[in-house]
Amino acid sequence: MDGKVLEKKKTSFRLTDTLILLIALIALVLIFSLIRREFFSYDNISTMLKNMVITGVLALGLTPLMIARGLDISFGASISFSGVLMAYLYNLGIGLPYCLIVGVAAAVLVGFLNGLLIEKFDLIPIILTLGMMSILSALALVMSEGRSLSMLTDQLYYFATRTFLKIPISLFVLIIFIIVFWFILTFTKTGRTIYIIGANPKVATLSGIKVQKVRILLYTFMGLVTGIASIVMVAMTGVGNPLAGAKMALPVLSAVVLGGISLAGGAGSVWGTVIGVLIVSVIFNGLSVLNVPSYFIQVFQGLALILIVSLYEVRNQRAARR
Amino acid sequence: MSNTDLNVNRKSGWQRINIFKVNSIAPSLVIVFILMCAIFGGINPQFLSFVNFKTIISGLSVYGMMAVGLSFVVLTGNFDVSVGSVVGICSIVMAMMFNIEGVKIPIAVIILAGIALGAFVGAINGFLITVVGINSVITTLGTLAILRGVALLLANKPALINDKFYVSLGRGFIAKTIPYSFVYLIVIFVIAYLLLRFTKFGRNVYQVGSNSNAARLAGIPVKRTQFLTFVVAGITCGISAFLMTSQAAFAQGEFGTGFEFTILTIVVLGGISLAGGRGTLIGVAAGLLIINSIANGLTMIDVPVFWREAFNGIILIAAILIDSIRVRRRELLKA
Repeated sequence: MDGKVLEKKKTSFRLTDTLILLIALIALVLIFSLIRREFFSYDNISTMLKNMVITGVLALGLTPLMIARGLDISFGASISFSGVLMAYLYNLGIGLPYCLIVGVAAAVLVGFLNGLLIEKFDLIPIILTLGMMSILSALALVMSEGRSLSMLTDQLYYFATRTFLKIPISLFVLIIFIIVFWFILTFTKTGRTIYIIGANPKVATLSGIKVQKVRILLYTFMGLVTGIASIVMVAMTGVGNPLAGAKMALPVLSAVVLGGISLAGGAGSVWGTVIGVLIVSVIFNGLSVLNVPSYFIQVFQGLALILIVSLYEVRNQRAARR
Repeated sequence: MSNTDLNVNRKSGWQRINIFKVNSIAPSLVIVFILMCAIFGGINPQFLSFVNFKTIISGLSVYGMMAVGLSFVVLTGNFDVSVGSVVGICSIVMAMMFNIEGVKIPIAVIILAGIALGAFVGAINGFLITVVGINSVITTLGTLAILRGVALLLANKPALINDKFYVSLGRGFIAKTIPYSFVYLIVIFVIAYLLLRFTKFGRNVYQVGSNSNAARLAGIPVKRTQFLTFVVAGITCGISAFLMTSQAAFAQGEFGTGFEFTILTIVVLGGISLAGGRGTLIGVAAGLLIINSIANGLTMIDVPVFWREAFNGIILIAAILIDSIRVRRRELLKA
């Protein structure tokens, strides 16, 4: 379904991958609902899906970036920073649309700066974005003086709480993102360019693709996605919290890697990522419903990440040997 | 800058030890350090006082030891972001061993157990990265979460250490001027320096880092070398945990949170190239001194705590930019 434009062999390969993940997802849902009836209730599922929006949007933004061998882990701090910025401006009495625009613009700028520095100076993405992360979270703390700044507006409250056809409105943001990313990655020239860069940057350069430019664009795009996630975060919590995004990196990265994206680039699909996000959310929510302490959930997330990547790695090595 | 074309094999040996030649970043770090002292000392003369000097010196050890361990890992071209969590879990386990009802475990056993635990965690990291073949950042990100989670689960309340001798190991001074902790740091630096410069393992570390394919073809056990670097990092974390617990006289699950960031900054600032295979511990020592003095100086001139964090990030980014420029210049010189 997801790889029609690519060669046939690859399509079948990736489809089975996605299928395995889908089966794992269904199995998880079944197990949790068998242990606890409440898990499969409308309330719980809609809460889970609402909480999934931010993780999902971020994971989608990371998908093309990581396919093209980039990486960004500053998004958590960027969310905090943009959220605080928006709330700060709002408390100064500036109109809501302007606040949101400035907040998103700040996130876009951060993304652009990440891309520019990484590509122009040939830096290791994770290290630069680690530095960016610390700067941004510190700035967020400076601006808010360590407190949460309240930002309660009717529009954002409406956005966060209302439902349409019993589906939370915020979920539509995620659905739109999924469709857009899926379309870009599978049907457009840009999408194929991204896969080629990831598969082999040297070949891509030799065949006339402006690798640096595309990657900077992807980092900027990641910034845009982060800004939007930040709006969703502020809408849901009603505050600009300087620590809002502090623990986002692990679940988002787990979801992306779970969905079949390797750090070596060139592989992965939107549907894989979507299922990865769903699995991570189901695990998190399921364990919460079972009243497991949050430290355990953290342990579990780390274990899941390592286990999944090991499985992929072992299988790849076996495939390579054949 | 003609000496940037550094050949590890040719340079090893006693006669080649020359601080300014071995690592071209060292002179610039010294200049930075002097400038920094001038600025901080100008704003607050207390910064240059002997008491403050003692404070800086005793604060070096925990970060310094971990930086030594991480240097080994980065030299082979890998990363370890789990170091902070390793310190956390080692600390809490060591403190818990003091608090077992009715049993008094000898201090030496406890310290060794803590270090062994660090080595064991490092071995797990190394196993996952070399044998299973997962990217080192992803692996250690996973172990970071796991170990922190376990440490917090173990420590539902701070575990106190009521042992005067153990505490004095971390807080004591020789002749009231030189802290014991500084002595440990020097010992570890010297051992690590000799290990890197005069042993086969040390040379392998550099070779694997500069070109792992060539190293494999030359018959160097690439995976074993990488594995051992993670064990070394784990051991230094264990020793740091010992020092932290003995200085604090208690332990809690949050010990070591966020350390990985500072340690990475020290290592990169010290000129250990992120591409692997380049840099020496002398640079790391200079980086350590600078980072610690900056942290101390910013406190002395009353910079708010949140700004200090931002400063750390800026230093890290500046350090990797310099690293990148140096690598590029080296490539230009070669071509």
